Amino acid sequence: MTRKCREIEALLSAYLENELSREEAAIVAEHLGECPICLAKKEKMEEIIFRLPDLQEDVPFFLKNRLYNIPEIVEKKAAARLLYFPKWLAAAVGTIILFFNLFYFTNIFPPANREVHSFVSSVEKLVVKTGGWFEKIKESKELLFFTFFNKKSVEIKETGKNQEAINANGFDKGGKNG
Amino acid sequence: MDIADILLKCRNGDREAWNMLINAYSKSVYNIALNFFAERDIASDVTQEIFIKLYHNLEKYREEKSFTSWIFAISRNYCIDYWRKNKKYMANSQELDENISSGQPTPEETLSRESEIEVLRKRISQLDPDLRLILILRDIHDLSYQEIADRFSIPEGTVKSRINRARLKLAEAYMREGS
Repeated sequence: MTRKCREIEALLSAYLENELSREEAAIVAEHLGECPICLAKKEKMEEIIFRLPDLQEDVPFFLKNRLYNIPEIVEKKAAARLLYFPKWLAAAVGTIILFFNLFYFTNIFPPANREVHSFVSSVEKLVVKTGGWFEKIKESKELLFFTFFNKKSVEIKETGKNQEAINANGFDKGGKNG
Repeated sequence: MDIADILLKCRNGDREAWNMLINAYSKSVYNIALNFFAERDIASDVTQEIFIKLYHNLEKYREEKSFTSWIFAISRNYCIDYWRKNKKYMANSQELDENISSGQPTPEETLSRESEIEVLRKRISQLDPDLRLILILRDIHDLSYQEIADRFSIPEGTVKSRINRARLKLAEAYMREGS
């Protein structure tokens, strides 16, 4: 391939699309008349440009349906993500449980066994303590409700009694006055 | 209905507006993907992923830019990303295709217009990604040089020279094969 061929190649598309000046087009046409390789390339390019629009295709029916359903797919994926429990987390939890049981029930590695047992006893203590707290909270809650309602009922009763006493006094007074 | 109205309705979960959007743009996106990868299965998956991405990013669209340019930018970026991630596998499959197509074609194959189209598509999918996309937009989607230059943010002259290079490479590939 000569230098001239490379120069002409760079102009082939513009030549085919009639975008060259008259002089440039004449130079290209002259070269194409002399060089069969460049002429073959030009003809092949023409054929390709003519054929390329045929590459357009309609969207397949199944794909169009999938595209229509994208909002649904996205919503389902978002809902599934909420329930998703990562595999690595499951594996980690499983490993911890396995090793915990191994060291708790067997004495293959005494220091670990001791540690696990002390950990379990501290957890038990904590549970007992928190149980105590819970009971206290429960009691105090009950006490609070009890006092509140009791107070209210006592107040109501007292106001009722007072009213009765006032009425009684009024009658008495009225009686005395009258 | 205006595209801004359609997008607003899509954002509010209007299914009819979404279907209108699919009817208007799915063909262009699918054809970009199909001619970029030359594989119907990949093109279908890529088209679906592009529209899922679009659905997630509807809020990000700004009206200063045309919607067609925006959807094209998403398609282009996704196609190039997918191609980069699966380059190794695709190179192997294309080598395989090359071996098959270099064999003597049957008379039916030679005459069949569909197989010619498939061969042309395969040839396009072997070009560099940027040349591929520019050629697809110019010669398949019939966009002007100026429109392509705007979408790629490159000078018009560069678009012209790339198109010429892409066409030349295709012509040379056919001439090497002797068809």
